[in-house]
Amino acid sequence: MIYWDIFMMAVSALWANRLRSGLTLLGVIIGVTSVITIISAIEGFMGSVQSEIDKLGPTTFIVDRMGMIMSEDDFLEAIKRKPLEIEYADAIADGCKDCEKIALQAYSFAPEIKYRDKKLRNVYIRGTSSEIIDIVEQEVDQGRFFSHEEDHDGRHVAFVGTTIQKQLFPNSDPIGKRIKIGNIKYDIIGIAKEQGATFGHDADKVIFVPFNTFVKDFGEPRRNLHIYVKAKSMAVLDNAMDQTRVVLRAYRHVPYDKDDDFSMLTAESIMNQFKAITKFMRVGLVGITSISLVVGGIIIMNIMMVSVTERTREIGIRKSIGARQKDILFQFLFESVILSVGGGAIGIAIGMLLGSVLIGLINMDMSPSMLSILLGLGISSGIGLFFGIYPALKAARLQPVKALSYE
Amino acid sequence: MALIETNDLWKTYDMGKVQVHALRGVSMKIEKGDYIAIMGPSGSGKSTLMNLIGCLDTPTNGTYHLNGKLVSEMHDDELAEIRNREIGFVFQTFNLMPRSTALHNVELPLIYGGMSREERLNKARHALETVNLGERMMHQPNELSGGQRQRVAIARALVNDPSLLLADEPTGNIDTKTGDEIMELFSELHRRGNTIILVTHEMDVAQHANRIFYIRDGLIEKEEIVRKAS
Repeated sequence: MIYWDIFMMAVSALWANRLRSGLTLLGVIIGVTSVITIISAIEGFMGSVQSEIDKLGPTTFIVDRMGMIMSEDDFLEAIKRKPLEIEYADAIADGCKDCEKIALQAYSFAPEIKYRDKKLRNVYIRGTSSEIIDIVEQEVDQGRFFSHEEDHDGRHVAFVGTTIQKQLFPNSDPIGKRIKIGNIKYDIIGIAKEQGATFGHDADKVIFVPFNTFVKDFGEPRRNLHIYVKAKSMAVLDNAMDQTRVVLRAYRHVPYDKDDDFSMLTAESIMNQFKAITKFMRVGLVGITSISLVVGGIIIMNIMMVSVTERTREIGIRKSIGARQKDILFQFLFESVILSVGGGAIGIAIGMLLGSVLIGLINMDMSPSMLSILLGLGISSGIGLFFGIYPALKAARLQPVKALSYE
Repeated sequence: MALIETNDLWKTYDMGKVQVHALRGVSMKIEKGDYIAIMGPSGSGKSTLMNLIGCLDTPTNGTYHLNGKLVSEMHDDELAEIRNREIGFVFQTFNLMPRSTALHNVELPLIYGGMSREERLNKARHALETVNLGERMMHQPNELSGGQRQRVAIARALVNDPSLLLADEPTGNIDTKTGDEIMELFSELHRRGNTIILVTHEMDVAQHANRIFYIRDGLIEKEEIVRKAS
């Protein structure tokens, strides 16, 4: 195995120049680390967004007045749209045979909620139909969600997130207690399962109240009204959306030759739009950090050029005793690839660590991805080959006589 | 068939506007088992001739047959194989790998020859014992004396059982007494059947050979027979 022997020659040459090899390695490590950090942070971020959006469920879509705004023109058009009406929910229920459940949701922010002397500010209030619990991924931890009757009657009951429990009831069971949202009293009937914070937003600082109660206390929703619709199955999701579209166009008197003046969002469409919006940011970030990778490659090339010049005589000796061009080529190529792949492996490890720290800072979870490992190793060995080939060819093509007489 | 047969060898260096003719038609024949010295003042072309005979370089014109093979027309990698199998070099400056042990230095040609590890270590050890360095195998060149270094180089030259041993001023960098020992070693190797070509400018070194070629201005000026080839 001549290549193994040549590989070992490369290793011992690198070892003989430890400091220089180490510094070169550092150049690659910095490059790969920054790229992997950015890639794993972006991946973790996108993954968190995905899991957040997936809470909607694959068969659910949301009817929204504005939808996802992608451009200024979109915005100028969408801002003119009529608000959604509460009666649409019943209309969809009548006109959409593939729809299983329909829920209304309005939201507001309560400036202050109180229990005895304890207060909490800026709590997200969701006024929803009782069906919402069957549509979105929101599990009950303790107690229960409110019933259809409680919604219908506009009862003052509240289903609260864990932040409410922790802040207002540190030492007692909140169920059955009466809190004040503004000046209106609500009885706590259940506690939601913890969702965790995402992107600095505490998803557990929330109170669900029945939709009709919300209308009484916070006023009729206008622009803050959404309709959540769950199709009977994945297979009929498109049918359900079409049937809903027909109903809404009729109710909103949209002429047949005009586009919808409302939007329907699925988890998939939201994610796709989000990906489209963040595409340039993601590509840009990776692109900018890739510059450091190129710098790492240039360092390798530079060092290998110096090394070839320094070892001209050694190359001459090797050639005089029978080393062929490819023997020399491979020795130097091995050296640059060892440097780049070694730096790459270390860079991947550090990068994933830093990536997870970054992700941790904005409260997202991330699992190390195979993609970034393979990408890192692939890119770094590619860099070693790309930047190493020229110096190695230069060494391989040296004339033995000239190389031997080099001082 | 002669081991070496050159016919009208020319080597011309292009130095921009002027062309320098280092060799101007050298023809010679060297039989297997012979011991030749090439002598000449510096600039005479003797180093160029040695480079051509050693297949380190190719002639501008003329033909060179080594062991019946026309090496003057060969490519780089073919020449590398010839150097690996047919020629053993001994240089004035030893040209050892400074950070490798004597054993690894001697083993190196066999690595490029593609020999298995066990076999080449055996051969390398044997070659070092032949030059009386069996005790110094694991020493690096800087731990060895000049004479010992040159003997490592000779072991490396011998390890592949080459057809030709080519020595360029082998005693140039060592003291006279050690130089005598090295020359004695060459004579011993010659007695064992090795073909040796020695390039030197010292008359008493050249006297060890059977024949001496005197080179001047790129031509063989005269040939002197010191003693009959045995």
